Amino acid sequence: GRGGAKGGAKTIIEPHRHPGVFVARGKEDMLVTKNLTPGESVYGEKRIAIESSSATLPNGSEFATGANAPPSTKTEYRVWNPFRSKLAAGILGGLDDIFIRPGAKVLYLGAASGTSVSHVADIVGPTGTVYAVEFSHRSGRDLINMATHRTNVIPIIEDARHPLRYRMLVGMVDTVFADVAQPDQARIVGLNCHLYLKVGGGVVVSVKANCIDSTAAPEAVFAREVGKMREERIKPLEQLTLEPFERDHCIVVGRYTRASS
Amino acid sequence: MSVDYLLHESSVGYAIFQVIHQPDTVGNRLKEVQDAVQDLAKFGKMIKLISFAPFQGAAQALENANDVSEGMASDFLVSLLEINLPKSGKKHKITLGVSDKNLAGSIKAAFPGLECETADTSEVVQDMLRGIRQHSSKLLKQLQDGDVERAQLGLGHAYSRARVKFSVQKNDNHII
Repeated sequence: GRGGAKGGAKTIIEPHRHPGVFVARGKEDMLVTKNLTPGESVYGEKRIAIESSSATLPNGSEFATGANAPPSTKTEYRVWNPFRSKLAAGILGGLDDIFIRPGAKVLYLGAASGTSVSHVADIVGPTGTVYAVEFSHRSGRDLINMATHRTNVIPIIEDARHPLRYRMLVGMVDTVFADVAQPDQARIVGLNCHLYLKVGGGVVVSVKANCIDSTAAPEAVFAREVGKMREERIKPLEQLTLEPFERDHCIVVGRYTRASS
Repeated sequence: MSVDYLLHESSVGYAIFQVIHQPDTVGNRLKEVQDAVQDLAKFGKMIKLISFAPFQGAAQALENANDVSEGMASDFLVSLLEINLPKSGKKHKITLGVSDKNLAGSIKAAFPGLECETADTSEVVQDMLRGIRQHSSKLLKQLQDGDVERAQLGLGHAYSRARVKFSVQKNDNHII
């Protein structure tokens, strides 16, 4: 057979501590999100269809079997691989608050091909919005393709260093997520927060020590990045290493405070 | 320096607001002032919508989005400013708050008498433009809930597809 995890009766879905994120408990536990476009994988990830318990007819009729069976209400989930998504790694690592939840508006910097973005889109759901910014045209094409099927994703092929260029495409957001891997990423995040992030909004930044300073110790780089974020009026809340999924990476979570008290 | 008018560029069109009550520059970073911008009831009393010019269709929106990202003032924007701003003379200088300094330069080229303040030069302008962005769907009265997001979605695709020269017919231009 195909091996690995499959859906069916043996797998049960439990909500994760973070709203909109789920855990599939089968042979092994997996992080999953509820598929916004059932029947479709974005990057070849596994899907798990779960028969919802409400499928039993209210009157308990026997006609529920065979050809007369009503269309079963299946909910489909997509497996979220922490080795491919830093946000997933951060959730498994035990981040306290990811600031991404159903209905949230998220500005996602460094969207790449949109694989992680598709999971964020699953989490925020139809009432939320993901503004996905990616500068590379090559990955941008994949991002646009993914967004055609997910109407809560707004693809923006533009340089996150110049956030004013996309000011007609973006509204005020609840959260800024950044995975840009640039030496000046704290400044990039700051520029975007000053324009688009609500006061009190969440900032989630993935920091790859190598991309910022390959000569210094990772811990020193992380500490310096946190300091730079403070200067951008982001109050650090927590810092989490992404071991064992990524090496010398961490996620820094903060809250945007405009007023200097 | 005080600012008299504010320009808001959005996916649905351009809007010009008049500043009725301007927060104190010194106190701007104080919490109370920032809280006032958060609260639509209070913020709505600080500014007044003078004119809202919606785009006539997707093509015009895309054209203007490209101009705005390059910092150019389109004819549509210039004519809107001409109609709605009072003449700025030596005695009575008019100051317009704009988010981008490049666009401010283009606007000043078209209106030599006009003064411009940007988010870089004035934190008050930045805070007020943030407030307009946050409450735009309520401040632009002829809009319905979700209009701005729908326009952003269409415009985002149009803008981004044009950037990567995306064609709907071909999935990708492979070199074989």
